[in-house]
Amino acid sequence: MAELRVEHPSVVMVLGSRDACDSFEVPDGTTPMRIAPRELMLVDAPGVAEVRVPTGSAPWVENVSDAWVALVLEGVDALAAFARLSELELPVEGWIQGEVVRAAAKVLVAGDRVTILVPAMLATHVEDRIRTDAAEVLGS
Amino acid sequence: MGSIEFEGRPVSFEQGDTIASALYRVGVRTFSRSLKYHRRRGLYCGTGDCPNCLMTVDERPAVHTCTAPCVEGMRIERPGGFPNAERDLLHVTDSLHRVMPVGFYYKTFVRPRFAWPIAERVIRRATGLGALPPTTAATRQVVRHEHVGTLVVGAGIAGLDAARDAGAWGSVLVCDEGRICHAIAPGTTADRLAELATEVRSLENVAVLEGFTALGIYEGLHVPLAGDGELVHVHPSRVIVATGAVEEHGVFPGNDLPGVMLGRGAAGLAGIHGVRPGERAAVVVRTDEGIDHLRALTGAGVEIVAVAVSTALAARLPSDGVGEIVVDGDVLEARGGSSLRSVTLRRDGRGKRFDCDLLVLSLGLSPRDGLARMALPGEPVTLVGDAAGETRHDGRCGHDGTVCLCEDVSMHDLEQAWDEGFRNAEILKRYTTTTMGPCQGAMCGRALACFAASHADGRSHPPEGPDPPRTTARPPTRPVTLESLAAGVHEIVDKRTSLHELHVAAGAQLDRSGGWLRPFSYGDWRGEYRAVRERVSVMDVGTLGKFSIAGPGADELVDRLFPCRTDDLEPGRTRYVLTLDEAGYVMDDGLLGRVGEGEWYLTSTSGGAGRTDARLRNLADRLELDAHVLDRTAQWGAINVAGPYARDLLERLTDDPIGAEAVPSRGFADVTVAGVPCRAVRTGFVGELAFELHHPRRRGPGLWRELVDAGREWDLRPHGLDALELLRLEKGHVYLGQDTMPDDTPVKLRMSWAVDMSKQWFLGKQALERMSTLPPSRRQVGLEFSGGPADTAALRGEPLIVRGTVVGRITSAERSIALDRAIGLGWVRTVDGGFPERLETGSGATARVVPTPFYDPEGGRMRG
Repeated sequence: MAELRVEHPSVVMVLGSRDACDSFEVPDGTTPMRIAPRELMLVDAPGVAEVRVPTGSAPWVENVSDAWVALVLEGVDALAAFARLSELELPVEGWIQGEVVRAAAKVLVAGDRVTILVPAMLATHVEDRIRTDAAEVLGS
Repeated sequence: MGSIEFEGRPVSFEQGDTIASALYRVGVRTFSRSLKYHRRRGLYCGTGDCPNCLMTVDERPAVHTCTAPCVEGMRIERPGGFPNAERDLLHVTDSLHRVMPVGFYYKTFVRPRFAWPIAERVIRRATGLGALPPTTAATRQVVRHEHVGTLVVGAGIAGLDAARDAGAWGSVLVCDEGRICHAIAPGTTADRLAELATEVRSLENVAVLEGFTALGIYEGLHVPLAGDGELVHVHPSRVIVATGAVEEHGVFPGNDLPGVMLGRGAAGLAGIHGVRPGERAAVVVRTDEGIDHLRALTGAGVEIVAVAVSTALAARLPSDGVGEIVVDGDVLEARGGSSLRSVTLRRDGRGKRFDCDLLVLSLGLSPRDGLARMALPGEPVTLVGDAAGETRHDGRCGHDGTVCLCEDVSMHDLEQAWDEGFRNAEILKRYTTTTMGPCQGAMCGRALACFAASHADGRSHPPEGPDPPRTTARPPTRPVTLESLAAGVHEIVDKRTSLHELHVAAGAQLDRSGGWLRPFSYGDWRGEYRAVRERVSVMDVGTLGKFSIAGPGADELVDRLFPCRTDDLEPGRTRYVLTLDEAGYVMDDGLLGRVGEGEWYLTSTSGGAGRTDARLRNLADRLELDAHVLDRTAQWGAINVAGPYARDLLERLTDDPIGAEAVPSRGFADVTVAGVPCRAVRTGFVGELAFELHHPRRRGPGLWRELVDAGREWDLRPHGLDALELLRLEKGHVYLGQDTMPDDTPVKLRMSWAVDMSKQWFLGKQALERMSTLPPSRRQVGLEFSGGPADTAALRGEPLIVRGTVVGRITSAERSIALDRAIGLGWVRTVDGGFPERLETGSGATARVVPTPFYDPEGGRMRG
């Protein structure tokens, strides 16, 4: 079975030139996702200092945790549960972005833990759909 | 072993029985009635390919009973027939064949027009494959996605062999619509299958799905597999199609009589289920497999009265017990009433009649390759086994008889369609519906292709050689339930603001708007309206698009996107902006505010946020601007505090200056309200003093509660979209989408003031310049109504008419509470070179074009 949890991770956006994104120093324990050539998204990055307005070559760094909700599937059936929600082919470890129950999402995979990051306004919809569509493999 | 219920009577079944074999054992010979002419149809293919055995099983229509296993207590019914399939009075239509020719539906009931709806009802009741259960709810289908290296469709010998080989280098999924080794007569084939199945199942990276039908191959690759209660979307790197072959359908007069069977069907009954398919049989043998079928029949005690055999196989026939042997003979005709009574075989150029109750046809194999033919050129889809076999036509082509068993199309019908000008296989298919029934051409596809090929050459027979190409194959390959088609499809995605639970608790009437679930009212929209006009109110506007734009190129980005000037905007000030596309059409609107040097804040409509985000990013990329866009729609909520006492309310909750100097009309400021950091943006949509408080989403519920609590002094009540509809209408503000058309320009919307054509460049400018030379054709107008319905809102959507001609439409209409007049918005076209001032509505009311805003035209209340 798999367990579903709702979490609110710390999320930071880094917007800058390709070089600035390439050379951005990612803190330990943080998952970096290069979601666009000039955009870097950091998950679980509580200590990153904000830079509100980009100047020169410095990137624009901002905590956007309010914008995201994480729906975490964990357990031996986490991948089986995810297969009921999306046609995305998950990496063994790492992340991918695409559609999960018709919501734009970023999906992080680490072992038997699948984290589905969705915009906050879609979190209830996605959670409801996970509980319905993957009911057979979710624990109570 | 068990019992099923067949049309109200119990029928016992043996272990391994299919529904059809159990019914056949107790003497059922009429399995269904044909779709159009209600001819009796008996068991025919025995492999789940033809439509003859389709019955309603436990209220589920169109089940292939020849492959469906018996389950204790099943309830079986034959579809069609009046009063029933056994004694069907509608069989009279068969004798009316000549007056109900092919294309009958297209040619009759055209006039008088009232005839068709009546005829349609009658036809629908008289035909069909059964009725959907009237009371049983659809069951939920589990949906899942599988990503595999190789998908093998078909778990016969070829499929399992391919799966074993593919398993050596990657992940493999094998699917079969039946169960592996099920319903295979004992012998070398069954032994080999069992051996392969054991080997394949032991492989770690090979998975097997039994009871799953591949519905089609879609671009991608993507193959949906429908099983009992589950739909599996397979995304393979390659597909191996091992779906075998179907026995060739014989076309001759009487070919659809009960008692005429294909070899596998007859041999399956005899060899697998121990049911004798007939007493006296004539057999046509043109394949190796046909010899085995013949042996199975004699083994079951069937008397063989004649065998028509190809020259090549004649020497391999058993030496005795096969009756008269007709080398290179053909079936000329089958005769009978409710079932077969005799067969006429061609022998030495003449016909010879044999009395029999069974005609078994082993005419050849036709690859079951429809699935593979759905793949696009170059896609990695491979055929193996019999599915890859090449069929060669021997030049034989029937002159009469049923070609399409599903749709009741005869060779005569095809000839007639050809004479009417439908002269290739594709349009013959569309006109006659041949190949468009449940078998999807498995039985008739080859015959249709051969017919078209032969007639195209002006011959009565196709040339000998490879088969002519078949018509286009499309999904689904097999009949599919609506449940499966709908499985996993959820069209509605509801976005919710952070205040959703508070709205629910307040008893709000929620509905969908712009992709969001939003409060339309809290029970008394007029009271909510009055709160805005007379006191103070709050509204959840967290749905608005909200963007920060920053970077060295940000100034240029906003200046190039919006058609108004932006360079003169001071920090802390906002301007109403239209967003145009390249064609100069209005796509969205919002407020643009300058935060500081190289930093901007933008709002858009709720439904237009996604488009605005994409447009900003696209333009930045195209112009290679060093500007970044941060979509804050999900990050920030927003509450509009509106009404004459809005400022008084906020002053109770903030220590920051909130007066007209600190936050002027068309201005904004970052303030802290009730401890929550907010961007307070002055707006004028409702026509009163108003502050939108944009705030971190998670702080929204607390901020809302504080505002509502502090607002009790002014009897604050929140307002929803119903109140907003009138509030904004009184101000003459348009709702994009509701009051606008897709090709509206600023001129048509009377918003030229929002465009500065003296700017060197902005998106859509060239198009606007071109259009400025055209005479005006349509424009949006304010309207006042008289003599209309009591409920003014009912006018919305009505046409606007001048001298009997529709020249416009009403897009918004309400009775103004503030003005006590019926007002609205709409669009009108020019009449005689000018825009009409007085019009009639569809319901007879009078509409007068008036200037807007209707309410507070000087805007003094809004400016506070």
